[in-house]
Amino acid sequence: MPRRVTIGFATIFTVLVLWLMLSTVLAVIPSGRFPSPAETWSALVHVSGRGYGGGDLMMHVYNSLRLVVMGFLFAIFTGVPLGLLMGWSRRAEALINPIFLIIRPIPPLAWIPLAILWLGLGDAAKIMVIWFSAFVPSVINTYAGVRNIDRPMLEAAYMLGMPRLRFVSEVLIPGASPMIFTGLRLSLQASWTTLVAAELVGAFYGIGRVLNVAQQDLYPGMILVGMIAVAILGWGTTRALGVVEARALRWNTAALAAKG
Amino acid sequence: MGVIEFKNVGKIFGSRASGFVALEDINLEIRDKEFVAIVGPSGCGKTTCLRMVAGFEPATDGVVSVDGNPIKRPGPDRAVVFQQFALFPWKTVYENIDLGLRNLNVSRPERRERIDAILTLMNLTAYAKHFPHQLSGGMQQRVAIARAYVLDPDVLLMDEPFGALDAQTRVVMQEELVRLARKNPRSVLFITHAVEEAVYLADRVAIMTRAPGRIKEVLDVASIRNAENWDSHEKIEDVMDLESFVHLRTHIWRSLREEKAAQHA
Repeated sequence: MPRRVTIGFATIFTVLVLWLMLSTVLAVIPSGRFPSPAETWSALVHVSGRGYGGGDLMMHVYNSLRLVVMGFLFAIFTGVPLGLLMGWSRRAEALINPIFLIIRPIPPLAWIPLAILWLGLGDAAKIMVIWFSAFVPSVINTYAGVRNIDRPMLEAAYMLGMPRLRFVSEVLIPGASPMIFTGLRLSLQASWTTLVAAELVGAFYGIGRVLNVAQQDLYPGMILVGMIAVAILGWGTTRALGVVEARALRWNTAALAAKG
Repeated sequence: MGVIEFKNVGKIFGSRASGFVALEDINLEIRDKEFVAIVGPSGCGKTTCLRMVAGFEPATDGVVSVDGNPIKRPGPDRAVVFQQFALFPWKTVYENIDLGLRNLNVSRPERRERIDAILTLMNLTAYAKHFPHQLSGGMQQRVAIARAYVLDPDVLLMDEPFGALDAQTRVVMQEELVRLARKNPRSVLFITHAVEEAVYLADRVAIMTRAPGRIKEVLDVASIRNAENWDSHEKIEDVMDLESFVHLRTHIWRSLREEKAAQHA
């Protein structure tokens, strides 16, 4: 096991021991404020078995994950092409950029009320808000990625007489891809943030819903279970994206390493 | 065919009234399968000349044409070798060389044949599956030259192609380019600020003035090369020792030094 991983496990273990000491053994933290490990465990058993907040844990996780993935994919498939277009065409940039300048400062969460007003408490409103929050980093980073492609490389492509579609798929997209993936990572983070917030405001299922109900029930153990669930899901999806990135950018990581 | 012609060509960057006059009244003809080098002080607009033939920059005045057709846009009939190689780092050596042929809709078996031939010629066969970053600068520029040559272009444009290489690699590449150019002649426009390189490689050398760049003098190297039989010497240093070579080189140096002096005066 690499040294870093060993240290990581040691840190987590220490935090767990400290938690146990402070909450249970020494009882410094009152359990109404922060749950003990035992309380958290029982909350986990509760939500996994009988269910809580309208469903069991798998159901909540499944719903949250589904919405994030849908909103995120929707954002990629709209944001990346738009970023490519803006990076490529000065005219498109001139046309679209002003809209961006107006919309960008509005925090994605501020769209939640409007989304619920339009689309109700169901999935559609949440997908819309997630799409909104994930869309902006996708567009901006893709745009910057295209702009960062070396000028001679583009000229080499013109010189080789690339047909338009091939130019996009074999030069523009790979050339911008390191930045595109940076954008996707930011988009994914934004997706989770927005999802939990949207579910807190109103939802029938989902981890945000669990958190919201647990807060109303004054149930710290369940709040912590919800938070840990979001952390694990966020980590897992980021890892999955990382695997895709490592595969897609194999040439780039190696190129960076070669440069030193 | 591949006759490159500059007819009363001028280039102004910015507006005609207040812009920077880069080139003025350039007249030069590069005959079919002739190797012409342009040397000049830095900033004299020699690269701009090449970029106009490539179709990357329009001429402000006059006409740049190939075989009588004014140049409108870049294209594979005028292959470019860039100073910074400009290979696609996400494509292997083979894929980099293949790309232009695919764009020309050459059939797969023919592409394979032509790429294998150029890989052999450039000593790159063992590196076909490598990515550019796995190769040294000299090897990368070999790939870029192969990418240009494989298109079988009428016109080959080389913009200080060895400028980014170390001195020893540069010499090897110069020798290889001479080999390639004699075996497989093209109309070549070669931009450099290295005088020896120009004399060693070119049939004619055009000397440019400082900005606004004009062509000051065109020297016929080929007739001297043939008369003195330079190509019988395999190594560049042997050629560079010949009296006729030294004479030409000194002549160009003096001419360029006058430009420097004019600049400081």
